[in-house]
Amino acid sequence: MAATRPQPEAVASPAPGLALGTPRWLQATLHFARRKPLGASGGAVILLMGLVALLADLLAPHDPLANDFLAMFQPPGGAYWLGTDAFGRDVLSRIIYGSRTALLVGFTASFSGATVGAIIGVASAYFGGKTDLIVQRFMDILMSFPIIILALAVVAILGIGTVNVILAISVSMMPRAARVVRSSALAIRETPYVDAARALGFRPRRIIFRHMLPNVMAPYLIMLTAFLGQAILLEASLSFLGLGVAEPTPAWGLMLRGGAAEFAERAPWMALFPGLAISAAVFAFNLFGDSLRDALDPKLRTL
Amino acid sequence: MRRYIATRLLLMVPTLLGVAILIFILMRVVPGDIVELKYAGVGAYVSQETLDKERALLGLDKPLWQQFLGWMWGVVRLDFGTSMWTGRPITQEIAIRLQLSVQLALMATAVAVLLAIPLGTLAALKQDTWVDYAVRVFSIAGLAMPSFWLGILIILGLLIFFRWLPPMFYTPIWVNPVENLSQLIWPALAVGYRYSAVATRMTRSAVLEVLREDYVRTARAKGLWEKLVITRHAMKNAMLPVLTVIGLEFAFLIGGLVVTEQVFNLNGIGMLFVEAIARRDYTMTQSLILLTAFVFIFVNFFVDILYAWLDPRIRYG
Repeated sequence: MAATRPQPEAVASPAPGLALGTPRWLQATLHFARRKPLGASGGAVILLMGLVALLADLLAPHDPLANDFLAMFQPPGGAYWLGTDAFGRDVLSRIIYGSRTALLVGFTASFSGATVGAIIGVASAYFGGKTDLIVQRFMDILMSFPIIILALAVVAILGIGTVNVILAISVSMMPRAARVVRSSALAIRETPYVDAARALGFRPRRIIFRHMLPNVMAPYLIMLTAFLGQAILLEASLSFLGLGVAEPTPAWGLMLRGGAAEFAERAPWMALFPGLAISAAVFAFNLFGDSLRDALDPKLRTL
Repeated sequence: MRRYIATRLLLMVPTLLGVAILIFILMRVVPGDIVELKYAGVGAYVSQETLDKERALLGLDKPLWQQFLGWMWGVVRLDFGTSMWTGRPITQEIAIRLQLSVQLALMATAVAVLLAIPLGTLAALKQDTWVDYAVRVFSIAGLAMPSFWLGILIILGLLIFFRWLPPMFYTPIWVNPVENLSQLIWPALAVGYRYSAVATRMTRSAVLEVLREDYVRTARAKGLWEKLVITRHAMKNAMLPVLTVIGLEFAFLIGGLVVTEQVFNLNGIGMLFVEAIARRDYTMTQSLILLTAFVFIFVNFFVDILYAWLDPRIRYG
């Protein structure tokens, strides 16, 4: 979401009306919530999702894997709030447990993709010259097909399953992070403190990790949050194609695959609710990511 | 300019070569090969000898570098060989699907442009009002909804409210336009909505930026009709970044519609890709990857050139 007005008061200045003893992170959070109500509501939904995922064992009314062949295609209501699927499994419980898969894949894939990408980007900028050229051409190659195609190719090699899906998604996101972080790192390489570090005879590894990486945190965090929604969507797409998380693991995309389309007329709830869960999650992550991007660096809004 | 175009075109060669090498190696790393998969369907015991014979027939017994050079030599002459699975020429197999994929991509682009430009401009003109908020929420929702889910919902809606389903089989538009459109309009809407989200956001921020320019203020100051200020001065200049986004998304749509094609049962490039990779059809997968990469890189290049052509301030060295 593009706010074009400059917002210099992004993170700093303490929120008025707070006691002096309030911890800084709380102040910053409250300030963010006041400045960016949309982003804060996204953050609240994310927190809620996290809680649901953590407390799935307590919240789910049924075992997400239990088949009840006497209760197949039950409409919402009664013992099954959101109905049951073709195997008589409770849709609500599968959605609740599915949040674990979505968050696990979403967070680990975007974290590893953005982190590896950032390290490559900074190193590429630091070394410059031929190294930079070769690394960037390699990133070009990885970026020259749609993300989903690259992820599909990786899954084809590794096979399906949660860990492989995480790997596939992070490989697809890594070059994009590397590209963005590199452009910020190029400017940082020219700063006096990097010169000073080099003059002191520090090794490249130390300069890259201790001096340059901490200073590309803004683009890094922006990429990371932008990836979160995409990663959840990508996992859902791969699972929907049958090339993601394996049955019977509860996953939202997988729930839409298994007959949801075929039985749509007979049991529309099977198609409706998992899709709503995906949309709500991605919506929340996008809202949050957008606002964070505005707050951290308004110039990067076209990303 | 001519020099720039030539350099950019030349630079495509190493990138595409890299793509070719990467996918060639990747395909050989994928466990299981096409011959084993072909005979897995037979069910009976197959001797090693038969497998080897079949492999030799497909040229899989040759050393890897020979296979690669053979493939590359073909590509240079625009001869992509035959599909290892069906035995038919790859160009022919792709051509049938490309027709559908390109049409769908064009239709989705049209939907996206028709949604994005008016909505984005409106949101910018009414910045921070409820209209702006509604448009922004509408576009973020478009990004959040998986297009395959939207597709399922569309099919479901048609079924429940109209007791009607789009035709199952593809008819080329010149054979029967009505049949063709009644099948493809739905996926185009599902994809176009999602795709419009990015373009709407871009339009909004571009228009906002342009509205703050001096020449817009001048146009207003000389008493120009507001409508003309918007269309002639603001929109015209704001369209450049929007064009980039639309171009890039279009490139993505050729081959990137794997999931949507699955929902609507469309036999397009994406579906072909999934099949080819599942069958370990090396030649087919390699050609498809090379094709999508080529489209992607070429559209990127084309957008850059168009950019310079539309905006005389941009001059490439």
